[in-house]
Amino acid sequence: MLASVAQPHGDQDVQPLLVVRDLQAYYRTSHAGVRRGIRAVDGVSFTVRRGEIYGLAGESSSGKTTLIKSIAGAIKPPLEIVGGSMEFAFLPGYGGLHRAPRAMVERIRWRHLSYIMQGSMNVLNPVRRIGSSFIDFAYPHIGGSRKQFEQQVVAHLARVRLDPSVLSAFPHELSGGMRQRATLALATICRPGFIIADEPTTALDVVVQKEVLGMIRGIQRETGSSVLFVTHDMGVHAHITDRLAIMYAGRLVEEAATAEIFGNPLHPYTKNLISSLPRIGEDAPRTGLGGAPPNLADPPSGCRFHPRCPLASEICSRKVPVMREARSGHRVACFAVNGDDPA
Amino acid sequence: MSGYAGYVGRRLAQFLLVVFIGINIAYVVTHASPIDPVEQSISAVTSFGNTAPDAIEQMRRSLRELYGLGGTPVEQYLTFWKRILSADFGPSMSAFPTPVGTLIGRALPWTAGLLAVSTLIAWVLGNLLGGLAGYYRQSRGLKLMGVIAMGLHPIPYYILAMLLLILFGFIWPVLPISGGSAMDLPQTLTVEFVGSVLQHAILPALSLILIGVGSWFLGMRSLVANVLAEDYVVYAELAGVKSSRILTSYVMRNALVPQVTGLAMSLGGIFNGAVITEKVFGYPGLGSLLVDAVYAGDYGLVLGVTTISILGVSVGVLAIDLLYPLLDPRVKVS
Repeated sequence: MLASVAQPHGDQDVQPLLVVRDLQAYYRTSHAGVRRGIRAVDGVSFTVRRGEIYGLAGESSSGKTTLIKSIAGAIKPPLEIVGGSMEFAFLPGYGGLHRAPRAMVERIRWRHLSYIMQGSMNVLNPVRRIGSSFIDFAYPHIGGSRKQFEQQVVAHLARVRLDPSVLSAFPHELSGGMRQRATLALATICRPGFIIADEPTTALDVVVQKEVLGMIRGIQRETGSSVLFVTHDMGVHAHITDRLAIMYAGRLVEEAATAEIFGNPLHPYTKNLISSLPRIGEDAPRTGLGGAPPNLADPPSGCRFHPRCPLASEICSRKVPVMREARSGHRVACFAVNGDDPA
Repeated sequence: MSGYAGYVGRRLAQFLLVVFIGINIAYVVTHASPIDPVEQSISAVTSFGNTAPDAIEQMRRSLRELYGLGGTPVEQYLTFWKRILSADFGPSMSAFPTPVGTLIGRALPWTAGLLAVSTLIAWVLGNLLGGLAGYYRQSRGLKLMGVIAMGLHPIPYYILAMLLLILFGFIWPVLPISGGSAMDLPQTLTVEFVGSVLQHAILPALSLILIGVGSWFLGMRSLVANVLAEDYVVYAELAGVKSSRILTSYVMRNALVPQVTGLAMSLGGIFNGAVITEKVFGYPGLGSLLVDAVYAGDYGLVLGVTTISILGVSVGVLAIDLLYPLLDPRVKVS
């Protein structure tokens, strides 16, 4: 194996923050005796290093949300973890939040693992002042006197350029951008080691989007947190992530440094994804990919992309391709790139 | 803050308008009744024997004056408002010469006491249990309670009331079946009298609470189920906020807002008297008074009871409208 090239953040000797191994998360329902399983996440493995922003891209219903729900331990029926493990540096030996005792999970949440949710506009309790939300979310972890805590919150709000007066405001009294920044401050006040960001900028206009992305980057650099950044928007990934994984139909198909993915995509799906992005100065119409993403209740055999793949060969419908390092630090799951898997 | 003061002013004006229209409607409806109370009283008197025609004519005139029926319709209407504004509804026609105000004053504490207490108990119990049942959906006890509430809810109220009467009045006769207190006790504040009042209130209160708890329970449970799916609850759970805090400040607090509106409406409705409750349990409240007044064509009394209930409902709604901005900060006052 080639020695890994210099990484922009973290070094390889340090234990990674999160190691996901062969994770399988299915939605299992049973109606009138007919059992159905939707294999939303099926054999996903990846590692999030300390201090990096790890991007996860994929179209709708590719399993991104299921994957982060599983990692965040928000597992409610019909979602079920069927196999695999998620090992956090701050929770060694349990293989995931869902296996740890409840009291321990309550201590870990927000202290070590926080969350910026999709639809951040509505994540603040409408009948509670922003300051009370800070107390509910962060005070049990930070402790000390109320006064000290308040000073800390005010200092932290300044990082996202919010006035201390927002603490006495109700969420509906703030603009969308201010609410987003307040949520960002709420998610980072405890300086967690790991932040999951699920489409944090999707509902925002591009100006606010850029501002929020800059703030996430700034806080992440300052606290040395790792971020798992999930969005379908490749432009946002190009802007903020260090490494990027592409998900398709419940599996990872490619993973590399973000610049490498954009400059040298290997998987046919990634290639299509990149080439579909508009570029300034180009006026040729974009060609789309034929077909639609598969139904995960009955996914295609072998490589799940083969029915839509321009490079598909006979083996693709028979065998499941595994993620292999095609180049240094660049993993891809494709027979057309890796050749026939001997295993 | 001036925004709130302006809001209060506008709401008060609206309140006065509603009360004015309501009382006018009550006036028109009672005066359109085909029963002429004066002729009724006269025929009641004359049926006992012969009376001189000019004596009858004089009686007719003085009765019309007493009841505010003298003069042209416009004069009658003005007299009516003069009396309303001085809180004087004239003498009752069916219980002549007791003033209507005295009759209402006697009945009101019974109704207000019974209904206010049972409405509040039902509201608190129903919302508490309904909220818990919505939050802890796996709990067997609360699931069972849901089934019971579902079963109780559709039973017509008078059937349930009769059932309770039969159960605790006849089959297992432990409670009095009629009246507000024991007949032989003087209505003074003695331990004996209060005990008797409480004992007499158990059955009617129980019937009201059983029905009330059922509907508050079901309403609150489905409100909580909706709130649980809100982003801010999901987020607080992901953040590891203590579940007791989530239940109270996040779930219940948001689900209670519409329930408080409901409480104000039913507290205002108290002044209507639970007509059926008071009839079934022979309770000496406003409901019984109203029904008897309607039968007797005593429209001074009907108007009096109606005016009280119009005022009650309007004050209830007004109070809630004034409190709403404090309850739900999203309600803009300006």
